[in-house]
Amino acid sequence: MDSLSDTIWDAVICGTGLQQSLLALALSRSGKNILHIDPNEYYGGPEAAFSLQEAESWVASLSDPNSQNNASNGGVFRAASITKPEATSSALKFSRSYSLALSPQLIHSRSELLAQLVSSRAHRQIDFLAVGAFFIIKAPEDPDHKAVLTRIPSTREDVFLSKAIPVKAKRGLMKFLKFVVDYDSEPQTEAWQPHADAPLTEFLRKEFKMEAELQTYIVTLTLSLDGRISTRDGLAIIHRHLSSMGVFGPGFAAIYPKWGGISEIAQVACRACAVGGAVYMLGTGIKSMQTGYSAEMELELTNGVTVKTRRLVQTDESASKKVVVSRLVSIIDSPLNSLFAAVVEGAQKPAVAVIAFPSGSLKTSTGKTWEFPVYVFAHSSDTGECPVGQSILYLTTPSITDSKEVLEQAVQSFLGAVNREQVPHSVYQLYYEHLGGSAGSRTEGQVFNFPTASPSLSFNDSTLKVVREAWREVLGEAATGADYMVFQDREGAVDDEEMYD
Amino acid sequence: MADSANGPKPSSSVKLVLLGEAAVGKSSLVLRFVNNDFQENKEPTIGAAFLTQKCNLPTRTIKFEIWDTAGQERFASLAPMYYRNAQAALVVYDLTKPTSLVKAKHWVAELQRQASPGIVIALVGNKLDLTNDGSGSGGDAESAGGDDLGDARKVSTEEAKTYSEEEGLLFFETSAKTGFNVTEVFTAIANAIPETSLKSARGVAASHAAGRAEEQRVNLNGPRDPNAKEGCAC
Repeated sequence: MDSLSDTIWDAVICGTGLQQSLLALALSRSGKNILHIDPNEYYGGPEAAFSLQEAESWVASLSDPNSQNNASNGGVFRAASITKPEATSSALKFSRSYSLALSPQLIHSRSELLAQLVSSRAHRQIDFLAVGAFFIIKAPEDPDHKAVLTRIPSTREDVFLSKAIPVKAKRGLMKFLKFVVDYDSEPQTEAWQPHADAPLTEFLRKEFKMEAELQTYIVTLTLSLDGRISTRDGLAIIHRHLSSMGVFGPGFAAIYPKWGGISEIAQVACRACAVGGAVYMLGTGIKSMQTGYSAEMELELTNGVTVKTRRLVQTDESASKKVVVSRLVSIIDSPLNSLFAAVVEGAQKPAVAVIAFPSGSLKTSTGKTWEFPVYVFAHSSDTGECPVGQSILYLTTPSITDSKEVLEQAVQSFLGAVNREQVPHSVYQLYYEHLGGSAGSRTEGQVFNFPTASPSLSFNDSTLKVVREAWREVLGEAATGADYMVFQDREGAVDDEEMYD
Repeated sequence: MADSANGPKPSSSVKLVLLGEAAVGKSSLVLRFVNNDFQENKEPTIGAAFLTQKCNLPTRTIKFEIWDTAGQERFASLAPMYYRNAQAALVVYDLTKPTSLVKAKHWVAELQRQASPGIVIALVGNKLDLTNDGSGSGGDAESAGGDDLGDARKVSTEEAKTYSEEEGLLFFETSAKTGFNVTEVFTAIANAIPETSLKSARGVAASHAAGRAEEQRVNLNGPRDPNAKEGCAC
């Protein structure tokens, strides 16, 4: 370990979540000396994906006051618990056949993240899968009946063919879809700017005469956690959704990386940096730091080694955080095939489906109406996250009292709606609360602090901005005029698949 | 490189990771396999390297995505990143260094515990050229000690072979220097990968979804990238 202390590092990166890992990728050909560490024994930080065994130790670590994962020590998760109903737990396969994503996110086809993965050639090591249909789940009017799933039409052709929407409502929806395409130029801007900060639902009602049900279709496409997205943000997201449609194939607007989503991107990015010569150490954090005496700062690592570095890049753990969402990961003993049919003939078979319980459609056991939406991401075994014959549900709703109960109820209601004859079982449930924090980065002398990303159901390109800031910080003057995330294939790594087509 | 006489064969990618103590010859084995080349006193691998090479079998072509890792202890944190979703692992030791076999056994245990279930593991004793069995080395020196000039072997074939059989590993003794048995290792691995896990990507879940992965995989270089097909001879 001597050479660790002898080297003067250009940057020490602490944490292997997506932001830090993308920074590692961006620096992978810079020739800089990089030491990349993570206090955890796994890659991916808050975006990690776990086997059942890893999930168990993670849950334990959250309640350990000495663990860096504990919310009081800067961790972003809390109140985690695992339940396995006795009667069905035999359906669980072995630990490593699962890969449960802590923060699953869809990536829209037009996201800058994908453009960067392609230009940096990192995409070659990732398998991307299509995110298929979006559904609304409607609670039954009569409590004796079961809930019903309705697919949201998301293209104009779709709206045209939909049987779920009355003809009169179709006109309003068509008009809206047409409006969104050019929403950010004249004269459309005049129509929405006066309502920019008002809820999107209100805008839809006033300007497009949309009824409540159609409003929920639109709001669901925004994946707004509390359903109260503003007109400004909502239109931007709907525009992103519609313009992403069909970019990589017919009928889908977003993709999901196989083997655990964002966690896989983080690992591939770290690999790229390792290939470029960076040193990686898991299970190693920073114990103390000394700055201000020279151009280099001294870091004492938790393994006892002291290293010198010009820059430290880490996550801002001192920033105040608040609980944002409650999450429930549920393993289902059925493949739920009906959810993963290709939306358009000839399209890639989707591995992910999105289902929303609109605001107000669920009730707590005391009869209180749940004012927020509950989102369900259903992942098929094609994601590599569970064995064949099973599927995984990732549920999210704002975190307040009763969130856990509502999520558990949503699982049951959903399973009843998806197969009425033979209701599938939830054989494993992992519940936890996910905290969010500051929005911007913070530089303090030689230390660059990434913000704590707020939980989101789709990847937000603003994440990339802070990564680039950090890159500029580490490279200094060399960053001026330099290409960002643009690399050639490394020797021997040329893709020659076309020879066999 | 496609075998035009036989027409196009199905091609699948196999992710292979190399593990083993420092200086046992991991990179040299890959270099021999990929470029049919050998460098005396090769610099240690820093971090890890990524290379690809095709292996032609009678009925299909396997494209190995080879992750060559650094053997130094301080790089041990890299390994989980590489063997995650790997379908094959080559665990290398140095025939002339018993401690390297101990380390190799550690890697095998870790792979069995942590890697994809069903991963094909090959144990490879390298530097056969330093022993009497080495191809090309004039080895008539019979020595009980086994450490005279002619034979530096310190790990018997029997010991490593028995261990491999117990653990269900493929086993080879190779020389990256002379090229002896190197291609054979990769061919044996290619043959040992279950047909069902091919065509699709990697890992156990994929193996059951055989044949569907191609239609599922989203190509980011899809229709909008005009350069995606450059150099295509079709």
